[in-house]
Amino acid sequence: MTEKTVIEVEGLVKHYGEVTALDGVSFSVKEGEILGLLGPNGAGKTTLMEILCCLRRFDQGNATVLGFDLIKDSRKVRSSIGFCPQETLLYDLLSVRENFAFAASLYSLDSKKFKERIEFSSKFLGVGEFLNRKVKELSGGMKRRANLAVSIVHDPPVVILDEPTVGFDPNVKREFWELIQDLKNYEKTVLISTHDMFEADELCDRVAIMDKGKIVALDKPDILKETLGGENSIRIKTKEAPRKAVSLLKEYKCMMRDDEIQVFVKNPWRIVPEVSNKLISHGVLTEKIEVVEPTLEDVFIKLTGRRLTEE
Amino acid sequence: MNPIIGIAVKDIKTFFREKETVFWTIAFPVIILLLFTAIFGREVPFTANIGIVDSDNMPLTSNIISAFNNTEIFNVEIFNNKTEALKALNATDVRAVITLPQNFSLNLTTGKNTYALLAIDKTDPEVTHTVANTIKTLFSEFYKEIGNYTEPISVIEETSLMREEIGYREHIVPGMLCYPFLFSSMVAATGAIVYEKHKGTLKKIRASPVRPLHVLFGKTLAALFQTAISILIIAVLAVLVLTPKVNWNVPLMIPIMFLGSMNGIAVGLLISCIGRSPQAASSAATTIGVVLQFFIGMYFPQEFLPTYIQQIGNVIPMTYAVQAIRSIMLQNAVLNDILQPIATLVISAIILYVMGILLYKRWVEKE
Repeated sequence: MTEKTVIEVEGLVKHYGEVTALDGVSFSVKEGEILGLLGPNGAGKTTLMEILCCLRRFDQGNATVLGFDLIKDSRKVRSSIGFCPQETLLYDLLSVRENFAFAASLYSLDSKKFKERIEFSSKFLGVGEFLNRKVKELSGGMKRRANLAVSIVHDPPVVILDEPTVGFDPNVKREFWELIQDLKNYEKTVLISTHDMFEADELCDRVAIMDKGKIVALDKPDILKETLGGENSIRIKTKEAPRKAVSLLKEYKCMMRDDEIQVFVKNPWRIVPEVSNKLISHGVLTEKIEVVEPTLEDVFIKLTGRRLTEE
Repeated sequence: MNPIIGIAVKDIKTFFREKETVFWTIAFPVIILLLFTAIFGREVPFTANIGIVDSDNMPLTSNIISAFNNTEIFNVEIFNNKTEALKALNATDVRAVITLPQNFSLNLTTGKNTYALLAIDKTDPEVTHTVANTIKTLFSEFYKEIGNYTEPISVIEETSLMREEIGYREHIVPGMLCYPFLFSSMVAATGAIVYEKHKGTLKKIRASPVRPLHVLFGKTLAALFQTAISILIIAVLAVLVLTPKVNWNVPLMIPIMFLGSMNGIAVGLLISCIGRSPQAASSAATTIGVVLQFFIGMYFPQEFLPTYIQQIGNVIPMTYAVQAIRSIMLQNAVLNDILQPIATLVISAIILYVMGILLYKRWVEKE
């Protein structure tokens, strides 16, 4: 990964009347990086993305994409970005190929480049199998793939995806994550918004946690979890005598929570066999022993005092 | 591909894939055309009493009076003086009074200019129109036979001659050719922006480097194409089913059709930019179209309509398109005859279209 900055945002402010949608947002995205914007609905993710795609104006601050100013060079910015919004923005009565042709015309692609891009999308996103079918005849997953393919028909260096997997079942979601990760192999810089902590964790090189129009933390998912997510723990549920189990494990920092024992340790995976052996050797049978690592949800709770899914 | 063409092609394809829309776009004008022709197209025998004051009293003027009598349209009453004749006119005993002045025959036969005075009861516009034009036609026939002759001075404003065998089907065909200005151009343009806005696809277009102006041009091109198809279907149907005796001066009609369409499209774009939902915009466009069709003289020549409707019609640009098309088709008008309606259409199209562009740009910038 090079260190070239592709997206640079400084002190971005956006108001909708009395409501402050963005409150001094600053961040940068490096070339070939996948940066995730994680936050609940109303955090300002979509507004931020739409501003970067020149779909909305902002009140204060500066932003550039590939060094092009959002206001002065908006056409160059728009040429450099492939924007895939939440909704499937395809024309139902047209075939996928016709939707491609329309999108290609918006970027004035010549017929040679258009053919190349159709081939690429067929291979990369697997749209070849339904290229000549009308959009209204496609399944949800096919539509989303076609939507992404159409969004990057002009081969943009920057791809902006606004909650691309909302409403997907887990299998399709995972399939889509792989596609997005593959974009890195084609040297694309990706900015993705989500309120799914697993998606952000799985997919992104770095995650910016947004709340009420602000970025409250930005780093690699592991670092965020390590520094802000709290301690790792081992959760144990015994068949009987939980008090005895607690006294057996008194050398560790442990506590009873509901009917489970929670043992807080730095390296839970190394301790698990030791704990298990100790309990068995003293005749304490266990129903469950599991390692619990902090998630980005924990990070969000720590930072905001609320859960990600709370509206 | 050029984005303007791309947008137009996409819109045209989408239009033709919506089978119900295509059906009604074609079916509605066809139904109206056939319905109105069936209701108003019957040949109703028409007669009117007219008075003639023959101050010349020569064989030639006697021939003219005989000619009027032989038309089977007029029952001619001879008056000895004009005062008496005008009294009969005021008493509605006669619809019109023609006064042939002294030396009328001498002037005509010696190649000098002459005139005939026409006083007419304008109470009923339809009768006025028919009587005035028939009288003018008869004088015109004399003009052709005798030579140097000046049009009679008429109390009515209209100076052009009507064709002899003009009927309702001849009137409605030019009107119906203008129908797509309202129900193809305006309605198509109305759906253009508001539909994309509602579906969210406009976001995708706006996220591309396409200029707002190009978006509107693409939409306009698609609406023009739809209008052209509608006009073509109506024209073919008119020729095959109604066989009107009209002048098909296509090269002169095309620019008028274009300007009429552009006016319709511009109004549609304005509604589209204001419309909050496709349903609201579509209802507004349909209502405006239904109302306008009566004001612009689509089904009846404007002079047949009540004065206040004519006055409202005069401020609607599409009225001038209907007038111009009707003049070309019914009165063999040439370019010089329709310069004024053309100028009106050009100016209004520019003003309305620029307003549409500004409104669209303002809406885009407001985001």
